[in-house]
Amino acid sequence: MDTDQELVILALCCHYCAYAAADMAGSMRLQYPGSVRVLRFPCTSKIEVNYLLTAFERGIDGILVAGCLEGGCHFLEGNLRARRRVERAKKLLDEIGLGAGRLEMFNLSSAEGPRFAEIATEMHERVVELGPSPLRRGREAVLAGVAGMASLAEAVIAGEKT
Amino acid sequence: MQASAAAARAMSLLAPARGTCIRTKVYPPQRDVTDEPPRIGVFICHCGSNIASVVDVEEVVRRTAVLPNVVLAEHNIYTCADDTQDTIKDKIGQYRLNRVIVASCTPRTHEAIFRDTLRDAGLNPYLLEMANIRDQCSWVHSAAPDSATRKAADLVRMAVGRAARLVPLTEDTVTVKGAALIIGGGVAGMTAALAMADQGFPVHLVEKSEALGGAARDLFRTLDGLDVQAFLAETIDRVIGHPRITVHLHSHVTQVEGHVGDFTSVITTGAKTRQVEHGVVVVATGAVEGKPTTFGYGQSPRVITQRDLSGQLARGELDLPKGATVAMLQCVEQRTADRPYCSRVCCTMAVQNALAVRERHPDARVVVLYRDMRTYGFREIAYKKARQAGVLFVRFDDDAPPGFSLGADGAIELTVRDAIVQRDLLMRPSVLVLAAPIVGQHDRQEVSDLLRIPINADGFFLEAHVKLRPVDFASEGLFLCGTAHAPKFLSETISQASAVAARAASILSRQTMPIGAQIARVDPDKCVSCMTCVHVCPYLAPIVGDDNKAQVQPTVCMGCGSCTSECPAKAITLHHYTDAQILGAIDRLLNAGPGPVGPGEGAYLEQVGVARPRWTEG
Amino acid sequence: MIVADRKKIPEIRDMIQGHDRVLLVGCGTCVTVCLAGGEREVGIIGAALRMSLKLVGRGHVVVDQCTIERQCEDAFIDILAQRVSQYDAICSLGCGAGVQTLAERFPQKPVYPGLNTQFIGILESQGVWTEKCLGCGHCRLGEFAGVCPITRCAKRLLNGPCGGSREGKCEVNADTECAWQRIYDRAKALGTLDRLDAIAAPHDWSTGIEGGPRKVVREDQCIAGLGPKS
Repeated sequence: MDTDQELVILALCCHYCAYAAADMAGSMRLQYPGSVRVLRFPCTSKIEVNYLLTAFERGIDGILVAGCLEGGCHFLEGNLRARRRVERAKKLLDEIGLGAGRLEMFNLSSAEGPRFAEIATEMHERVVELGPSPLRRGREAVLAGVAGMASLAEAVIAGEKT
Repeated sequence: MQASAAAARAMSLLAPARGTCIRTKVYPPQRDVTDEPPRIGVFICHCGSNIASVVDVEEVVRRTAVLPNVVLAEHNIYTCADDTQDTIKDKIGQYRLNRVIVASCTPRTHEAIFRDTLRDAGLNPYLLEMANIRDQCSWVHSAAPDSATRKAADLVRMAVGRAARLVPLTEDTVTVKGAALIIGGGVAGMTAALAMADQGFPVHLVEKSEALGGAARDLFRTLDGLDVQAFLAETIDRVIGHPRITVHLHSHVTQVEGHVGDFTSVITTGAKTRQVEHGVVVVATGAVEGKPTTFGYGQSPRVITQRDLSGQLARGELDLPKGATVAMLQCVEQRTADRPYCSRVCCTMAVQNALAVRERHPDARVVVLYRDMRTYGFREIAYKKARQAGVLFVRFDDDAPPGFSLGADGAIELTVRDAIVQRDLLMRPSVLVLAAPIVGQHDRQEVSDLLRIPINADGFFLEAHVKLRPVDFASEGLFLCGTAHAPKFLSETISQASAVAARAASILSRQTMPIGAQIARVDPDKCVSCMTCVHVCPYLAPIVGDDNKAQVQPTVCMGCGSCTSECPAKAITLHHYTDAQILGAIDRLLNAGPGPVGPGEGAYLEQVGVARPRWTEG
Repeated sequence: MIVADRKKIPEIRDMIQGHDRVLLVGCGTCVTVCLAGGEREVGIIGAALRMSLKLVGRGHVVVDQCTIERQCEDAFIDILAQRVSQYDAICSLGCGAGVQTLAERFPQKPVYPGLNTQFIGILESQGVWTEKCLGCGHCRLGEFAGVCPITRCAKRLLNGPCGGSREGKCEVNADTECAWQRIYDRAKALGTLDRLDAIAAPHDWSTGIEGGPRKVVREDQCIAGLGPKS
């Protein structure tokens, strides 16, 4: 992965709807940004909060979770459970300051190839706006430097005050 | 649904020939790979020019060959071609491959094929992983070949991360009890019973009342003029006379235990109980006409329902004074905030009854007050005929329902604002006919609790998926037909019941059934009996066993993973989607994972006492 | 069981300021059951904490994680002993008892709480926990048809409801059931309403926390020679 130039977005897709829609986008030869890599799950309800956080910890720039339409889940309520988990992960991302915007859940049916291309594009554009994840390797040093300067500046200000 | 119904009809004709043309494929014994470190072979497909015209396949091979645990990476023009599959089998032996990755099209169409290739080569089919570099790469990035090549290499690398952690899985089988239990002896239940019995399967038909026939006993003619009672009598005779159908009248199913292919149930008749074994359950409990509480129904004998009217017409009991007006009011106590659904049959019934009234009493005036006429399909012809026959159709707005009063002398007075001419009409009909709603059975909750099947907001049973799994319940081995599902015409009930017979036969015709290996399993040593899995599973698959620890019933589990994502002790694993496998793919994509995987590490064994840190290396 | 919920990540991050190697320790009993400090939560909080540290330029801080059977028992903590020596500090995702047991066992290590311990309660429905017992040391549930007014009545009234009970709900918090409504309903169903006629004596709080830290000593359970632990 050419991490330094290219954004990488994970699309965690349920087998029955979102993955099928992604296939259909292919059959229809719809074009969307190359940043999106699909990982298949039997159902979005298999997507654990920890998977989302681990991927962010490892430096992923954005994650889109895509499941069946609400009310149309092949496992009855799996996508509703998944939405709760995504909300929970978003809350944590906000708490730590990485920002909930890098994670989003979408619902679509297996017949919605164009919709898949659309959400892939939408997520890509959103991540472009947010920029690459500051947690990616090689950026930590920069971050540490920035933080160091910030605390130095604070210390100076504090010193000036006293 | 119609196709399944047709299949059922064909199957009854073919019943004697069932199973006579089957050849059983024999596979070599599976190699035990437990103690081998992962040796991954990667086969990257050109798909003719579908992939290779965009993705630099050779570059993907180069990038893949250097990955940990990969011992072979090569590219083929068509990986799914017979000769390439033979090559794969040879290479599995030659390189002692124990994990195989095919990077080509979508696993949705080709996973089964390549799994079979693995089985032919003596490998467990669950040791296959696919990378979708066509549908989800070359086809969607044809304008950006460089980016597509990088992405294809990433997708293969993710597959390598996952494949290294794949473990062989075995599919269990259950012995199928080849009988059916049908709850409800109406047209739906009887049709399903006959269709199954004609195919050779024994059927237990359980009816709570004293006679078969259900709601159809109050129906007389179809719109086409067919005699429902004659059909019903003939059907009942066939059911009672059928050697493979056991009818239980005055009976209830009081207990159902087991799972698809292997249920044991108790049928209670009065004080007697009988235990039966069966492989499927059909819910055909029907629905009833909801008796209106408005528009003077029950207060005046001149206010009746459409069903009452068709009965009176059939028995020749309808007595009208000269020049009488018959008013028909549609959508009574339905399509409202409280009961939002449409009962589907009332518009047609009104049209049919209106035509019959005009025929018998040519001097009578028939006025139909409606919101929308829903005489769908060819029923529209009857609607046209009714208008030609002089039946008046007056449309009123949803928010301006007709006013009603009943005089001391029993005179009915209706006021309605005609939505088209925007004028108020006043009429004094001799008879007011109400289109009463069809509502679910009163005891539906008991049936729901007994079988653990869902009821929708309208009070009818809910099938698994309208388009993808019609007539199935979400839980396997349970099926639904007739008005228990939703209001519908007799003809629709019959096709649905036939469809159920076909779907049920797909289970009953087997000796044994494989249970998918992709199911959840609880580690009892880690389970803290918190009940979270029991609460979150949509299929009620987890139960608390005799040891007070949760266990997932393998035949009930559908393999969605809900419980595994919530278990706070991480005691539940979904086979084929373990943490190690999923995070293996993510780690490899982000170049963050550990090095090569050693033998036995795929399972990520936990140390006793101290749980191994998850996803953190020191 | 003891019910707890997690602290916000920045709070934990600030607590462990100054430490470079931190071990996050979960507990396999109550806090696992109430979805706050079991192996799953330890993994989630660990990942979030590491990211949070990186984002404030403290990416060098090592946060590792593990979960033990029970933090309020030395035998299970002992398994950690060797590992703990490799860390500067411990962050416990156990209840308050767990945090303190760890602290006592490892006198040289700072131990920080990752959870806020809430109360003794039950799971009402998935995701909702309610308090049922205050641990007052003098149980009077027998007088009140099995519903504790000391814990569940906002005013701790012992002789019938206040005037604020509305449609079975408490006036202090409309989400909460009025304990006295529950007591009345249950007593009525049990046919023991007459028992509520008796004047309930004032509660003896001397057995509660107000009387200072408590201790239960069961001489009959003490092992001869070892005596009660002081």
